[in-house]
Amino acid sequence: MNGPWDVVVIGTGIGGGTIGRRLAERGLSVLFVEKGNAGHRLEETPITGDVWQAHARSLRGLSPNAAKAKIDGRVSTFFAPIGSGVGGSSVFYAATLEQPERHDLDDSKNHPHPTGGWPVKFDDFAPYFDQTRKMYQIHGTENPLGEPNANLSQPQQLAAIDASLFQSLSAQGLQPYHAHTAIARLPECLNCVGHKCPKACKMDGRSAGVEPALLTGHATLWTNATVTRLLTKKDQITGIEILRNGEKTVITAKQYVLAAGAFASPNILLASNNSDWPKGVANSSGLVGRNLMFHLNEMFALWPKDKFSSQENSKTIASRDIYYQNKTRFGMVQSMGISARYGEILHYLNQMYDRSRLAKVTFLRTILRLPAMLAEKLLGGAQIFVGILEDLPYAHNRVIATDDPNDIVFEYQLPSELHTRRRQFRRAIRRAFRGHRKLFLHQQAELNFGHPCGTVCFGDDPKTSVLNMNCRAHDIENLYVVDSSFFPTSMGVNPSLMIAANALRVGDHVAKEFKDKS
Amino acid sequence: MTNQQKIAVVTGAGSGLGRALTLELVQRNVKVIGFGRRQDTLQGTAQKGGEGFVPMVVDVSDYNAVNAAFDQIEISQGPVDILINNAAVYPQLDILEETAQSLMQTVNINLGGTIACSRAALTAMVKRGHGRIIDVASFADIAPIPTSAAYSISKGAQRIFSRALHADLADRFPNIVLSTWLPGMLATDMGLVNGLDPKTAAKWGASLALLTDRSLNGVVFERDTEMLPHQSFKRRMVNRLLGKRAKPRRLTP
Repeated sequence: MNGPWDVVVIGTGIGGGTIGRRLAERGLSVLFVEKGNAGHRLEETPITGDVWQAHARSLRGLSPNAAKAKIDGRVSTFFAPIGSGVGGSSVFYAATLEQPERHDLDDSKNHPHPTGGWPVKFDDFAPYFDQTRKMYQIHGTENPLGEPNANLSQPQQLAAIDASLFQSLSAQGLQPYHAHTAIARLPECLNCVGHKCPKACKMDGRSAGVEPALLTGHATLWTNATVTRLLTKKDQITGIEILRNGEKTVITAKQYVLAAGAFASPNILLASNNSDWPKGVANSSGLVGRNLMFHLNEMFALWPKDKFSSQENSKTIASRDIYYQNKTRFGMVQSMGISARYGEILHYLNQMYDRSRLAKVTFLRTILRLPAMLAEKLLGGAQIFVGILEDLPYAHNRVIATDDPNDIVFEYQLPSELHTRRRQFRRAIRRAFRGHRKLFLHQQAELNFGHPCGTVCFGDDPKTSVLNMNCRAHDIENLYVVDSSFFPTSMGVNPSLMIAANALRVGDHVAKEFKDKS
Repeated sequence: MTNQQKIAVVTGAGSGLGRALTLELVQRNVKVIGFGRRQDTLQGTAQKGGEGFVPMVVDVSDYNAVNAAFDQIEISQGPVDILINNAAVYPQLDILEETAQSLMQTVNINLGGTIACSRAALTAMVKRGHGRIIDVASFADIAPIPTSAAYSISKGAQRIFSRALHADLADRFPNIVLSTWLPGMLATDMGLVNGLDPKTAAKWGASLALLTDRSLNGVVFERDTEMLPHQSFKRRMVNRLLGKRAKPRRLTP
């Protein structure tokens, strides 16, 4: 059957998986179109740049092609931590689903918003944050410094290393809490941070989205199905051209939902340009692909006051003590679940090297093993923390259209205000975590390429945004976008909770439209 | 799971090391399905193996027969937990006595049999997310001696197959644990008169087959001792400076 379905959902990550489930549970017929593989359910595949052959990457659910980026004018090629398979990037993620602060979305006198605020207010998202926490079985403790977090499940007892850090950080006047993680902690939980979970324990676009959607009997999943073009007639999508297992087909639906991720979603719109839409479908604003944002990662090693073996990892500490200071937007700080061991340090140094000017001199790369070994000696027992620094939208930072749907091509310039905020953020981290031995792990600004967003932003004005407040394209009557592309700003938290909550919100809207029409 | 009897396939179970491994595993409460080309030699193993042993006449170089056998085992016994690729022939022929056909027939058994059995076993192992594969290997490929062309080519390539299998699977399925085992020179028809008693070697082989720790994935054992991967001089020096000398693991018989 090639249609018409009620809804076709392109992409099966957090956004696509979540909205597909909601729509299927509302009784609508849903087709998931996934470019990547289904994979094997009991895989524990990690996200890695070590596998570089495109077919091998694709089989593993990794984005097959290396990203080509021009960052501050310098061209570099690297594997972005982006998934391509059922569940998208989320099957690899650390399942940190943190609620944004009110000021991340709303404009107010005390907390002026850089874009004047999101078109949908915090209070309108709040019920969907609550629903997401239930749907994704999120564990953690209440953030003591922000808005309430309903439907949080009790976390397990703290590991000794986390208990020690909680105590010593609290003694410094900080207010740490148990990070909010979407891991159900089933028996024999493998804590699948950075790799696929073989059980329905880590909640992601696959286990909390596509799989429950398929169980309703209303949803169908096509894998290895690449969208090559959206077909339009004036302000309507009339069909989608798909390459499925090497064969071209056209499918039709009443509503189309684009959720291919903040790199691929704008690319599909731009690559579908035609005589009606010469700049790209839904792109009368010229903003499709623009306002690309990431987060900056500030990674630092922090030594607990008590001695622990390097086998023990702190996974659960989150802090919002320096989220916002003196009208300056920073973001949250969280433990990364890794201690400073040889492998992690080497991997990290290698990444830095590959993006440096020396990248072509491959034989020098081996020499990094020496500093990595010494660093392990020096850093032994330290836990790695990351501060997430909010990025803001600039039109010149953008995804570049490409004909190969597997390509990720973008241009990004670090604005000077971001450099300034970064210096302030590092100072704030140093001050906040005083009394603990700590060490910043990098001098250079580190963009988190796993958190792209903003490239098909929503807003009230069709001149300054691509989508309306319901995440429907201003220009197209039957096209919605529900991945992180819709973010007007990147917020100071990991993007997943917002993507899922918004997908539920848009899902309710789409389902209501179907109901009203019938 | 732990209390359930494990199911193993041992190829070449009619004689030599294969028979010894089979009997050792049966003694350790493993249900062993033994592949062999000849009914009469399998019968010899069956007489000592008792109820824990199921003989199956399968020529591992007949790939269709291998697939059919694994299908049948899955139906009659359940999914295979352990595969020991042991079957091999060593014809001792000078290259001028071999034809391309005769040499490749040896490769079909020694290398092809390992590939066919591993591939067939993997279908169920991938579905279950765990499994154990042991390749019985040799050093014959390192410095081939006269009249060993077919054997050393096939056994060398078998070890390459094992590494390639590891490259394809280990990151995705860390609980499908692949190990290579070099039992050493044995007092079997294929080995040396004054070699090691296969019964002694079989105790190590059986222990290795019953270990399922994912850290054994891709590891090579010689007799009862882990062979550590080669390290560069620089790496060894640095490890020594850091006081990190790797210790090879030993098997308890």
